[in-house]
Amino acid sequence: MNPFVGKAGAWLRRRAENVAAALLAVMFAAFIVQIVFRYVFNFPIGWTSELSVITWLWLVLWGAAFVVKESEEIRFDLIHGAAGRRTRLAIGIITGVSIVALYAVSLPATVSYVSFMKVEKTSYLKIRFDYLFSIYVLFAVAVIVRYLWILSHLLRGKDPEARDSTTLSSGL
Amino acid sequence: MNPTNPFALAVMAIVALSLLGLPIGHAMIGGSVLYLLLAGLDMGTAAEQLLNGMYTSFVLLAIPLFILAAEFMTSGSITERLLRFCNALVGRFRGGLAQVNVVQSVVFASMSGSALADAAGSGKLMQKLMTQDGKYTASFAAALTAASSVMGPIIPPSIPLVLYALVSDTSIGYLFLGGVVPGLLIGVVQMLLIAFTARRRNFPVEKPVPLRELPRVTWQAFPALMMPVILLGCLYSGVTTPTEAAALAAAYALLVSAFLYRTVGWCDVYNSLLASARITISIGMLIAGALVFNYVITVENIPKTLGAMLKVYELSPLTFLLFANLLLLILGCFLEGTTILLIIVPVLLPTAQALGIDPVHFGVVAVVNIMIGLITPPYGLLLFMMVKIAEVTLKDLVREVMPFLAVMFGALALITLIPGLVLFLPRLMGYQG
Repeated sequence: MNPFVGKAGAWLRRRAENVAAALLAVMFAAFIVQIVFRYVFNFPIGWTSELSVITWLWLVLWGAAFVVKESEEIRFDLIHGAAGRRTRLAIGIITGVSIVALYAVSLPATVSYVSFMKVEKTSYLKIRFDYLFSIYVLFAVAVIVRYLWILSHLLRGKDPEARDSTTLSSGL
Repeated sequence: MNPTNPFALAVMAIVALSLLGLPIGHAMIGGSVLYLLLAGLDMGTAAEQLLNGMYTSFVLLAIPLFILAAEFMTSGSITERLLRFCNALVGRFRGGLAQVNVVQSVVFASMSGSALADAAGSGKLMQKLMTQDGKYTASFAAALTAASSVMGPIIPPSIPLVLYALVSDTSIGYLFLGGVVPGLLIGVVQMLLIAFTARRRNFPVEKPVPLRELPRVTWQAFPALMMPVILLGCLYSGVTTPTEAAALAAAYALLVSAFLYRTVGWCDVYNSLLASARITISIGMLIAGALVFNYVITVENIPKTLGAMLKVYELSPLTFLLFANLLLLILGCFLEGTTILLIIVPVLLPTAQALGIDPVHFGVVAVVNIMIGLITPPYGLLLFMMVKIAEVTLKDLVREVMPFLAVMFGALALITLIPGLVLFLPRLMGYQG
């Protein structure tokens, strides 16, 4: 890979991580503010729970698009791990093509659903839902691009990154 | 089932794509899109279900907050203090370090809701302690660490029980209380097994910590030991919602580690936030995929169809529970636990309820099953993780895990047959089930 592209990619990934950490920090802070207002000042506020649920939605989709690496995702890798190199490449190409095709074929309907949501706004912060939900479109495009990139590597015969089972994090 | 109908094809696509190693969340979203496409429905529905499902499932916010609380709690020197406390408590027996491993799992289980996190954190440390100077074989230590980590999500707080609360509309508070006795029961049977094998395998004895040291060691660990008390106190007094209790626990953990133990700086806080965000994203994608696929399952009316099918056999509640146990255990050997919890359990739930099985009892039994699935070969995430951490072969690890599996099956049978074991504590706190 071009070293400049590699460096820029690493820099971008760190910024994406900053955003993810910040989203979680905002969620945490919103809860603390909510608890303080309700139990200390006896003054319940609604915008905090709206803010925290927005950060949750964005954190998951932003992170799935830009933060989590291929090697960290939860998957069943017994067959993949046991296969020889050629089979592994073939499997990677089949799954890659399927996922690109399925996300791409649903993209127009997805965009039209998200833009249709411009008619509604959130209850407290009055954020238009099409802005709020646009993260899904970003996510879907990122998945398509990511798998196209993986496919381009596989088609040139490069083996995918090995999986690291010590960083698995399904939450279980 | 007609193999050419859209639902069958979608299920086959999901199974095939996940078996071939596509991330499970993507496989479920992709398969659901395929269903919508073949059934001639609007493909924007996938996005609609995912976005609205995530946006309205407020209870799920407890998950990132519990993860964050555990990250804050285990950064800095707290882990070492807790291990010293456990060692002072049970280290004096034959096979002392092995007993410490079980007790520390109970302690960490009461702060974190994730078995994998416990194994990668304090479990990794225990593995090192047990194998240095050749005290225990690496494969026994790894098997024990894997088996004892299973308690993590059974003793509250628990991420799988939050997920079950979501799919079953059951109170998180009662579910958490229901997990206490079964979790401790698993700890007890593991400790008995160790005590039993300690003589036969001639496990080493550690230098005992004098009893007069115990108050000091306890005092040093005390603020950390208070976390579950605060968490459960908030929940059961009804002062806060479960999600708020999770946030308070995280705030408490941050305060304790930053100000009381003074071992955590800004950099550690950022690292804890990022680590928690990563776990949240992984589990969030599984939830997102399940939300989309569950819509397909609902459209196809699968739970009702299954209920009608099972009704023909006129199952007694007990037979059904045994059937569910068997099904979940078998699936647990091949499927990822979160997926089972979010996809298979909701399909079984209506039948369980129609048979009069208590939803809290059913939930705890299902979660114990799924947790045991983490250490059953061939597909057990905890096994894979310990193979990597302990640098042992899967074969050796599985051989050493077998006795632990056997006693845990015993515990599972007790929990299944005696609902009172699960329901005693919730009823004490006013559960009307």
